Amino acid sequence: MQETFIGLVSENRGILYKICRMYGATEPDRQDLFQEIVIQLWRSYPAFRGDARFSTWLYRIALNTAISDLRKQRRRPASIDPDLLPNQLQDIQYSSEKEEQLQQLYSAIDRLTELEKALTMLYLEDKSYQEMEEILGISQNNLRVKMNRIKDKLRKMTKEAVYGIG
Amino acid sequence: MELDNLKAIWKEQEPLQDLQPDMQQLLQKKSRGHIARMRRNVRIEALVMLLSYIPCIILYLVWFDGRLWYLSLMMSLILVVYWIYFLKKDRLLKKMQCVTCEVRSNLTRQVRILWTTTLVITISWFVAYMAIRYSLHLKGIPIPQWLEPLLIVLVIPGSIGLHYLNKRYFNKLYGREAQKLRDLLREMDEG
Repeated sequence: MQETFIGLVSENRGILYKICRMYGATEPDRQDLFQEIVIQLWRSYPAFRGDARFSTWLYRIALNTAISDLRKQRRRPASIDPDLLPNQLQDIQYSSEKEEQLQQLYSAIDRLTELEKALTMLYLEDKSYQEMEEILGISQNNLRVKMNRIKDKLRKMTKEAVYGIG
Repeated sequence: MELDNLKAIWKEQEPLQDLQPDMQQLLQKKSRGHIARMRRNVRIEALVMLLSYIPCIILYLVWFDGRLWYLSLMMSLILVVYWIYFLKKDRLLKKMQCVTCEVRSNLTRQVRILWTTTLVITISWFVAYMAIRYSLHLKGIPIPQWLEPLLIVLVIPGSIGLHYLNKRYFNKLYGREAQKLRDLLREMDEG
């Protein structure tokens, strides 16, 4: 059973990485959260009967753990003015333009509430409203309203990041 | 950036290097979540209570030729009441988190159970009073007529006061978290 479980989690590791990156402010926070999610998944696994899709089940557990994690989070490191960095560090460029855009996306996500983060995650993962409802327990009508608001926020915030507004 | 562009960036991201733990090892670890810690604390409290009460109960039974047996009985009753309280609290905490449930119903459950846990302490105070009262009755120790209503009068506001004190203590410990859960729930329900 353990091997099957590890196999399933490994297949879906990407989801867990993204959730931890979204909800964990620092590296130790992300490691703690990853560990907690895996422990909760393992504890719940014997009761998983396959009624729901494995990914839906995994999203529920991971988001439940991340959202209701009541531990005090360490503060996310503040951004530093590049001009104040030592010369050697200034030479380190972003590995790619994509990584830079990803950083901008994460800094926009960081300004969202816990619930908005969960909705953004599901939206970016192309989940349908039906699946979102199954995971979060929020009605589809309510989800549509919230999603429109979040999309506007994301558009605005990523634009701010690109053009340096705000 | 356009939203479709964001989706593409999101999907293409590389896994984080700092999250590559040994899964086999990870599965052996204990949860460090808040509920697991609360349950551990309850078990320690119960054990300390047991270890401190049992020697006293035995001593009162053995010493003074067993003339203080009623004190043993009273302490045993208190111990039983507290054990029921500990079991109830542990069961509540166990039920508190349903990670496989929808996020909304899990949050509702957590908020409700946090409130119930404070109530359990108030009830246990009443039960402890009843246990003491019953043990005195068994021993046949007369309670002056004027004392009985006074005791009741003291117990009722005492229990209510204790309930609020306990609530304040609980808020101090978990207040921010409980508020966070309530805010999340409100946000979920808002249209």
